[in-house]
Amino acid sequence: METWLEWARGPMFRGALAFMILGLIRHVAITWFEIRRALRRAGDKSIPYSTIAKATLQWLFPVNRIRDRLVYSVTTVSFHVAIVIVPIFLAGHILLWERGTGLSWWAIPNHLADLLTLVALVTAVALVIERAAARDTRSLSRFGDYAIPLLVALPFASGFLVMHPEINPFPFDATMFVHVMSGNLIFILIPVTKLSHCALLPTTRLISEVAWHFPPRAGSEVALILGKENEPI
Amino acid sequence: MSAVETKIGKYSYRVEAKADQVADRPRRFLEAFAAVLDRSNYGLALDAYARLGAKCSRCASSCQLYTATEDTRDIPCHRSDLLLRLYRRYFTPAGQFKARLFGGFTLTDEYLDEMAEEYYRCTACRRCKATCPLGVDHGLITHLARWLLAEVGIVPKALVVAVREQLEGVGNTSAIPVAALKDTCEFLEEEFRDIYGVDVKFPIDVEGAEYVFFPAVSDYLLEPDTLMGNAAVMHVTGGSWTIGTGNYDGINYGLFYSDRMMERIVNQLVAEVRRLKGRKALIGECGHATRAAWFVPTFCGSDAPEVVSFLQYTAKALREGKIPLKGKVIEERVTYHDPCNIARAGRITEEPREILKAICTDYVEMTPNRTENLCCGGGGGSVSIDEIRPFRTQKMGKKKAEQIRATGAKIVAAPCANCKKQLREVCEDNGLDDVQIVGVHDLLLKAIDFGVEKDAGKAKDAPPGEKENKQEE
Repeated sequence: METWLEWARGPMFRGALAFMILGLIRHVAITWFEIRRALRRAGDKSIPYSTIAKATLQWLFPVNRIRDRLVYSVTTVSFHVAIVIVPIFLAGHILLWERGTGLSWWAIPNHLADLLTLVALVTAVALVIERAAARDTRSLSRFGDYAIPLLVALPFASGFLVMHPEINPFPFDATMFVHVMSGNLIFILIPVTKLSHCALLPTTRLISEVAWHFPPRAGSEVALILGKENEPI
Repeated sequence: MSAVETKIGKYSYRVEAKADQVADRPRRFLEAFAAVLDRSNYGLALDAYARLGAKCSRCASSCQLYTATEDTRDIPCHRSDLLLRLYRRYFTPAGQFKARLFGGFTLTDEYLDEMAEEYYRCTACRRCKATCPLGVDHGLITHLARWLLAEVGIVPKALVVAVREQLEGVGNTSAIPVAALKDTCEFLEEEFRDIYGVDVKFPIDVEGAEYVFFPAVSDYLLEPDTLMGNAAVMHVTGGSWTIGTGNYDGINYGLFYSDRMMERIVNQLVAEVRRLKGRKALIGECGHATRAAWFVPTFCGSDAPEVVSFLQYTAKALREGKIPLKGKVIEERVTYHDPCNIARAGRITEEPREILKAICTDYVEMTPNRTENLCCGGGGGSVSIDEIRPFRTQKMGKKKAEQIRATGAKIVAAPCANCKKQLREVCEDNGLDDVQIVGVHDLLLKAIDFGVEKDAGKAKDAPPGEKENKQEE
C-alpha cells in the first residue's frame, strides 16, 4: 500500500496537477485568442468593458445576489468558499509544498479547516438533494450534474478522516490513498468538464458581449455561401 | 452506407448514412449553421456555453415565460441546450468523435419543429442573462437559433411579410406609400395649427439636415400624438431634421429572425441618411428599432452616421433648458414601461424618466424596473402574430398586467410601437380597460409651452362638432 501511496502522491499527483494547469492554460489561451479574433473581425469594436467588468466581479463575489433564491444561493456560495480555501490553505498541504518546492504561505487554523470541510461535505450533498428536489433543475440534469459535486466531496470526506484517525474506521494508508487519488481525479476532471468554469468564468460575460459584434458583411457572406444572394424573401 | 462530409471555412460537419433518416431540411439547417459559425462571432459564445453550462436553473425564476407556463421546456437553460446539443454533436471534435464511436443522435425534422416552437415562445427579452452566474446570454441563443431556422424556411409569416414589404415591396413594413406619408404629415401640421396655434413642420427630403428621422412606420397610422410630440420637440429646440421619402421606416424585423435581413434593413437606413447628406439617424419611440439601429456601426463601419434615440435627444434638450414647459400638467398617475430592447443592457433607462418626472405630478415606478423590467409579453416580434393573442396577453402578459395594476396608474408610457400594441391588448384582456397606453412624447406634447396665447389651445378638449366649426373658421 505504501508503494501505491508514494506513487499517488508522487508521479500521479505531479501528472494530474500538470494536466490541470496545462489544460486550464490551454482553455484560457484559446479563449483570449478567440476573443481577440472576434474583435478583429467585428465591425463595431466598442465594448462596454467597465460594465462587463462590474457584472463579472458581482458574480465572482455574489454578495448582492444571495437574497434571490436564498437557500440555493447560501448552499452554493458556502460550497465554493469551502472547496477553494481548504485545499490551498490547509497547514498540512502547505507543509508538503514547502518540502517539495520550498514555497510556503499563510495557513488557516486546523479547526477552521475542519469546519470548512464539514461545510463542503454538507453543501455538496445539499446541492445534489436540491437539484433532485426542485422540478426545474431535475428536468435539466443529467448523470454528470449529480456526480460532479459528489466526486468533489470525496477528497474532503477522506481528508477529514485522515485528519481525525480517532473516528476513522478504515486503515490510515488506505484512507490517504483514496484522499490523494480522488484529489488527482478532480485535477484531471477540471479542464475536461464544466469544472473548467473555475478558470473561464471571468471571461464569459465578455464573450457574451463580443459575440453580438458581427463582422460587417456577415449576413451577405452567409447568403453567398448558401447561394441565396438573389433569392426572393 | 456512406457519410456526407461538408466543410465551410473551419467548420465541418459530418452526417452519417443512417442519415437516410436525415431529410433535406436538417441537412440545410446544418449547412446554414456551419456558414453562420464561419462568418459570424457566434461560435465564440456557443463554444464557451457548450463547455460551461452548469444548469443551475437560476434562470428559471427570472424567466417570464417559464414562471407563467411552469412547463420545464420553457426554462432558458433547457431551451438553449437544444441548440448547444447540436453544436456539441456536429461542430466540436469531441462530439464528432463520440458520434463516430457510438452513433449519437441525428438531427431530425421533429427536432427542428421542437426548436421552432421553443425559440418562438421565448420573447428574447434577455432577462435571464442577468441572473445567470456564468453570464450565459440565452437571448443570443434564441436570436441565433431563429436565424438558422429562418434559413430552412421556418419563420412566422407575419415577420416575413413585413420584411418582404420593406425590402422588396413599397419600402416599409406597413406598406404606406409616399403620397400617404406626405398627406399624414400635412394633416399633422394642420392639427398643430388648429389645436396649438403653431406652425410646426414635418420637413420632408431636406438635404443636409442634421437628423434623418426613422420612427416605427406604424406610428404614421396609429400614433399621431407620438409623432406630434416628436415634431414639437424639434420645433421648440430648433432641431435640424427631415423625413426621407426614400426610407421612413425604423422597424427592423430582421432583429427578430435573421441577421441577413437585419443587415439589409440597416444598410437601407444608412443609405437614406447618406442620400440626404444627413449626419445622424434619429430613431423614433421604438425599442427594437433603436436596438437594430445600434447595429449601424457593425454593418457600416465606424464612419457610419451616429444613431440617436429620440428619447436621448429630448432628455438632453430638456436638461439644457431648450424645451419650455407649462409645468407638471399631467396630473393623473403615470407609470413607465421599460422596453427590453433599450433598457435590458442599461442603455436607455433614465432619459424617459427625466422627461416624465418633469411633466407629471404623480409619477410612480413599476416593480421591477429598468434593467430588471418585465417584458410586455409580446417581445421578439411575437406581438405581430395575432393568432397567439391569448398566449401573449393571458400567459405572457399576465404578470405585466398585475404589475401595472399594482401601481394604480391610469397612464402607462411605453416608448415602443410593439410594447404599446401588446400592452393595450394586455390591458383589454386583463380587465384594465381604464388604463391608457401612450408614448413619452404624447405626454410631453401636452406640457410643451409653445409661447402662443391662443384660444385654439382649448379646441382639443372641445366636442367634435365644435372643433370642426373652429377648423372651418
